[in-house]
Amino acid sequence: MKLKLSINQQFYNTHIDGDESLLDVLRNLGFKSVKKGCDTGACGVCSILINGEPTLSCQFLAARAEGKKITTVEGLGAKADKIVKAIINEGADQCGYCGPSLVLTIYAMKKELKDPTVDKIKHFLAGNLCRCSGYEGQLRGIKKYMGVK
Amino acid sequence: MRFDKFIRPDNLQTALKYLQKDKDAVILGGNTFLRLSERKYTLGIDISNLKLDYIKESKEDIEIGAFTSLRTIETDPIINKYFSELLPESVKHLIGVQFRNNATIGGAIYSRLGFSEINTALLVLDCELEFEDHGRISFNDFISSPKIKRDILTKIIVKKQKGKSTYTMMRNANSDFSILSVAVSNFGYINIAVGNRPALAKLPEKAMKLINSDNSKLDETADLVAEELSFGDDLRAKSSYRKLITSVLVNRALRKVLL
Repeated sequence: MKLKLSINQQFYNTHIDGDESLLDVLRNLGFKSVKKGCDTGACGVCSILINGEPTLSCQFLAARAEGKKITTVEGLGAKADKIVKAIINEGADQCGYCGPSLVLTIYAMKKELKDPTVDKIKHFLAGNLCRCSGYEGQLRGIKKYMGVK
Repeated sequence: MRFDKFIRPDNLQTALKYLQKDKDAVILGGNTFLRLSERKYTLGIDISNLKLDYIKESKEDIEIGAFTSLRTIETDPIINKYFSELLPESVKHLIGVQFRNNATIGGAIYSRLGFSEINTALLVLDCELEFEDHGRISFNDFISSPKIKRDILTKIIVKKQKGKSTYTMMRNANSDFSILSVAVSNFGYINIAVGNRPALAKLPEKAMKLINSDNSKLDETADLVAEELSFGDDLRAKSSYRKLITSVLVNRALRKVLL
C-alpha cells in the first residue's frame, strides 16, 4: 500500500505492507538512528516521538502513522545538543546504541514533567534499557539537564 | 502476527461488518501483544480512527474509550481523582512510558490476558463493558466466561463510588510483568481480586464473604484467599511461591482499605 509519512517535518512517500512496523519502514527510509533491539516492545531502543509522545516504533504499525508527526533524533537537531552534552560530560554515552532513543525520551520528559524529581525521572525512563548498564552515569547527566539535585 | 490486508474504517458499523464477515480478520488495538503471535490473518482492522480514545466523567460514571492508552489511564486527572490508588497503580510499572503509550485498555480487556494487571484492578470496581454488537455486560461476567466473540469493545463504564480502593503487586524487576497482583476495594462492600496467578484475575468469593461478615478477620481472610484460588507456574514464579505471597499482599491491601 502507498503511504505518506511526515518525518521530522518532511513528507516521505513510500510503499509498505499493511502489517509492517514503523521501525522497519523508518530504517528502510534511512533513519538508522532508530535501532532494532528486542523487537518485542521491551528494550526501548526503537523509541521515537509520535505527535510528541515517546512510542515504540517496533509495535506501531506504519500504516497507522499516516497523518501523524513522527520525530526521530535526527529531527531534534540542535535541541538534542544540550541533552547529548549532559550525557557525554558524565562519560555515559558508552556504546551509544541506546543513545538516540534515550535522547528523544529525555526531550519528551523535559516537556512533560513540570516538577521533576529523581524518582519521576527514573519512572519516565524505565523503558529505556542500556545494554552497557550505564544508568548511573546517565542519571547524573540527566539530573543536571533537568535541574534536579 | 501477519495480515494480508489493512483497513482503517471511520465508523464502528463498518469495522464490525468486516470483523463478522471474515473469521480470519483481526481488530488492531495497541498491537503490543498481538504482534508477537505467529498467527496469520487475512485482514487487519485498525480501530484508531473510531474516536474511542477518551475519558469522560458524568454524574454517576466514568466512561473510558476502549482505545485509550494505558499511559492516559496512568496520568488522566479524572481517573486519578477517583481511583488514584487503584487504576494508575495497576499500569504504571508496565515496561515503560513508550510501551504504555501504545497499549490500550480495550486490548488488555478483550484479550483476557492473565498478566494484564488492569484487569485485576477493574474487577473490584462496579464496572461494565459496552460492545458494539452485544451491548452491555458486567466486567466480571466478561472476564469469567468468554461468551462474546467477533465483536468490538467500545467503552468501559466505571461507576463512581465513595470509599477506598488499593492495588498492590509483586514483581521480580521493575518494568517486568508482575508475578502476582492484588486489588481491594471497600465501597460499603469489600471486593478482593487476585491476578497474575498467572491465570486471569479472579474474585475469591468465600474469602470476600468472610471479610464482609466480620471486618476484623483480616488474617483469616488473607489466608483463605490463598487457599481458595488456584495458582500456576511460569517463567517468573512457581505456584507455591505465588500462594505464599497471596496472603501477605491481600493482608496489606485489606489493611489499607479497612484501617
